[in-house]
Amino acid sequence: MEIPILSLMLLVSLVGAVVTFALGKNPKMAKISALVFSAIPMLLSLFMLTQYVQTAGGYQFRESFTWIDSLGISYILGVDGISVPMVFLSTLLVFLAVIFSWDVDHRTNQFMALLLVLELGVLGVFMALDYFLFYIFWEVVLIPMYFLISVWGGPRRSYSAIKFFIYTHIASLAMLLGIFALYFEAASFNGFYSFGMEDINSVSPLFGLTFQIVVFGALFFGFAVKMPTFPFHTWLPDAHVEAPTAGSVLLAGLLLKMGAYGIIRVALPALPDGAGEWQIVMVILAILSIVYGAIMCIAQKDLKKMVAYSSISHMGLVLLGFATFTEIGIAAGVFQMFAHGLITAVLFMMCGVIQHKAGTRNIPRLGGLAAKMPIAAVFMMIGFMASLGLPGMVGFVAEFSIMTATFDAFGWLLLIPVTSIAFTAAYYIWAMQRTLFGPLTKEVDTEHLHDVYWFEALPLAVLCGLIVLFGMFPAMVMDYIRPALGTVLGLLGGI
Amino acid sequence: MDYTALYPEIIVALFALALPAVNLLIKDNRFLAAVSLAGVGLSMLAVLMFYLDGTGSIAFDNGLLVLDNFSALFMMVFLSVAFVVILASVKYIEKEKHGAEYYSLVLLATVGMMLVASATDLFVLYIGIEITSLSSYALVAFRKKDIKGTEAATKYFIFGGISSAFTLFGISLIYGVTGTTSFAEIGALVGTLTEYKEMLWLALVMVIVGFGFKVAMVPFHSWAPDVYEGAPTTITALLAAGSKKMGFVAMFKFFLIAMLAIKADWEIVVAVLAIVTMTVGNLAALQQTSIKRMLAYSSIAQAGYILIAVAVGTEYAVTGGIFHILTHAFMKGGAFIVVATLATVAIGEKIADYKGLAKRSNFMAFSMTVLLFSLAGIPPLAGFASKVVLFSSPIMGTVDGADWMIWLAVAGIINSAISLYYYARVVKYMYVDELEEGAPSEKLKLPKSMMAAVAICVVAIIGIGVFPEPFIQLCKDAAQALFA
Repeated sequence: MEIPILSLMLLVSLVGAVVTFALGKNPKMAKISALVFSAIPMLLSLFMLTQYVQTAGGYQFRESFTWIDSLGISYILGVDGISVPMVFLSTLLVFLAVIFSWDVDHRTNQFMALLLVLELGVLGVFMALDYFLFYIFWEVVLIPMYFLISVWGGPRRSYSAIKFFIYTHIASLAMLLGIFALYFEAASFNGFYSFGMEDINSVSPLFGLTFQIVVFGALFFGFAVKMPTFPFHTWLPDAHVEAPTAGSVLLAGLLLKMGAYGIIRVALPALPDGAGEWQIVMVILAILSIVYGAIMCIAQKDLKKMVAYSSISHMGLVLLGFATFTEIGIAAGVFQMFAHGLITAVLFMMCGVIQHKAGTRNIPRLGGLAAKMPIAAVFMMIGFMASLGLPGMVGFVAEFSIMTATFDAFGWLLLIPVTSIAFTAAYYIWAMQRTLFGPLTKEVDTEHLHDVYWFEALPLAVLCGLIVLFGMFPAMVMDYIRPALGTVLGLLGGI
Repeated sequence: MDYTALYPEIIVALFALALPAVNLLIKDNRFLAAVSLAGVGLSMLAVLMFYLDGTGSIAFDNGLLVLDNFSALFMMVFLSVAFVVILASVKYIEKEKHGAEYYSLVLLATVGMMLVASATDLFVLYIGIEITSLSSYALVAFRKKDIKGTEAATKYFIFGGISSAFTLFGISLIYGVTGTTSFAEIGALVGTLTEYKEMLWLALVMVIVGFGFKVAMVPFHSWAPDVYEGAPTTITALLAAGSKKMGFVAMFKFFLIAMLAIKADWEIVVAVLAIVTMTVGNLAALQQTSIKRMLAYSSIAQAGYILIAVAVGTEYAVTGGIFHILTHAFMKGGAFIVVATLATVAIGEKIADYKGLAKRSNFMAFSMTVLLFSLAGIPPLAGFASKVVLFSSPIMGTVDGADWMIWLAVAGIINSAISLYYYARVVKYMYVDELEEGAPSEKLKLPKSMMAAVAICVVAIIGIGVFPEPFIQLCKDAAQALFA
């Protein structure tokens, strides 16, 4: 019998969360337990990468059990080339976040357990092939993130946590309405009730156009809030500013990806004609997010808020890639999801490091940190350069492909989003200049600035290594993604 | 005459009547509770026997009552509520006098609910409602010296009396028009009586008002928060989880059997009332500082959700309604029992009193979190499963052509999102906030029997949430039996 590797990953995170939580008396053991239980899924996902047959297409490692028969709900898991990189990214980031949080000493066991619950939810979202199951995992993610922000967050954590919770919950509920509609509409063509993605997607081209437009709107709203897309982004800067570093890393690295993943996995295949009608809206919102996010970054004084706004800009690129409805655009969008996950993790970790060492993230108050923290400065520069799209790093490949696809699809409309490249370079280099270089600031106790600790350096080094590796050899990821797009494109082909 | 259909009721009623007599011999409160629990347990067995028997439906006396999948399921719900409430009461009313009367009244209230569940005739339904109402008036006033309790009881009694009068007036009009009190016969006639349409409308309005009071439907809800707050908390649990649900059973029978033929005349009214009820309940709950009042308003909101089932009125919708009634009984009953349990160790009924509770009792904080998140409809808990069926039913109606129904689903969804705020706030108090300085911080020693009652609810919520299939099946059978 084949090993149910996907379920095993979920099970390990769940068991890990329970065990870690139970080790309340002993913070050290809780940390070690979290480390072990987050390492296992990561090793499993590496194993999965080696076993996945890139050329085969379709869903692999499929597991399927009937769960609630009377409603047609099944426990179906499976991964294709779109979800494989996301699963790997999730296990990797959670593992690194656990290491990076080695110095969390307030309710350590609960913190670590919540990271593992979060992993369970995120992995479930990327693996589920049943809309009902998908929604459950989608909602499971909210609870640990709510607690991570509200217990370990900054001064305004209470407000931010509730805002995050309610905002994204409303979005999920809109999505749930859309899922119900798909369920009943598909049943009228299939002749049986099923929440299974494959069952519903197989009849999706038959849905009426008005139905598709309305339901796509509901689903798109759900995903656009999560991504987040302008003008549904206002929860994000608040949540990021208050969240603890590990929370921010996972929020930006994984939770935002869920929104983008939802569009590619749910909205486009289930409602191809509706997507066609909404294309123009998607393009406009994507461009607005890209440009607005970048301009907002320039105005920020808080380093972390700047990184948060840059996420809005970069996730806008993902949406723009998807909205081209071309193979290269969608592939580049997925690649950008992966790239942004790696890069933004570095950036948020660096925000955490600076906050920790210097006591502030306020850009005007910082200065000359490179002299005192050379290693940290290197990581930060790599992160900034990768994020602004320096060739040779993973961000460049994604951004360049998206821009190319945009030109192919929409021609000179490209001129608007392409301005963001200049803005992005401007805010990163300007921020770098003000924080890392220049004279040592008097506002910060520079005598006692300590460079990064091992538990901070290790995850940063791994991430920077991967950023360069996949920047040099993007095919390592692209080879997974591209063969999987056939189904999505096949459905969109009718447009 | 064959009394098989009445066995479950008869058992409970006998125990209820025997309790005061037993009390003359043995004064021990715990013994009395044990006897009541035995009565409830035996009655459950009788219902189980019916299920195992598989006869489908047993009628009593040419259709005054029927024991079928619908009534059996609700009997199980009401009996479980009674079981949990009695279990929790053992400690809660330990120091009070008149324990025997208390348990006896709880059992009698349960008998009334069970009668409503199996009634197939308007008068039997009315009698059931009255048995429950009269018992619960007395139960709310159980703490004679408690001013709040007495005020609540007076209010409850007056409102309840008026609502009964309305119901009765409506029933008499219907009897006048149709010449029968049997649901099935009324149902067969109403569609044909076009010349008496105005009279029927008047009757409908009367009955909506009467039942509206019972289920705390807006705008007839104002008694609920005061009564829920003033009553002994275990009785609040009984009211919210039991007697309110009885009102819904009555509504299902009245609207979906007797008045189904003229559904077009009332469906929009009920739909609007549903939306108003859930919205008002949730908005009011947002502002509460007392946890009992907050839960009371949340109960009103949940009543709005369940009304969706009446407005949509399909078998699928009623399945959802029944399922939500079932899960809500455990969620809301459990939540009130948590409040009652904490009250025994001098933790107040203000939401702010729950600050840092997780440090003092992990079990209670965890249970309350599960129950509240389930009320908010967070997966994978039971409240989510039942809301899925309930809220998807108007979408099914929309896809089938009744466009206006979409607004029921939209309203339900928006309201669920609003409600999350006040549920999450309690969770935040318990887990996120630290204990206030100077406040006692030692671990709580809680009564075992009450913890057991809470544990039953929590296990039910998680169990139904993860394995909803058999319960959905039961609710489906019940809905089928209702429409049969």
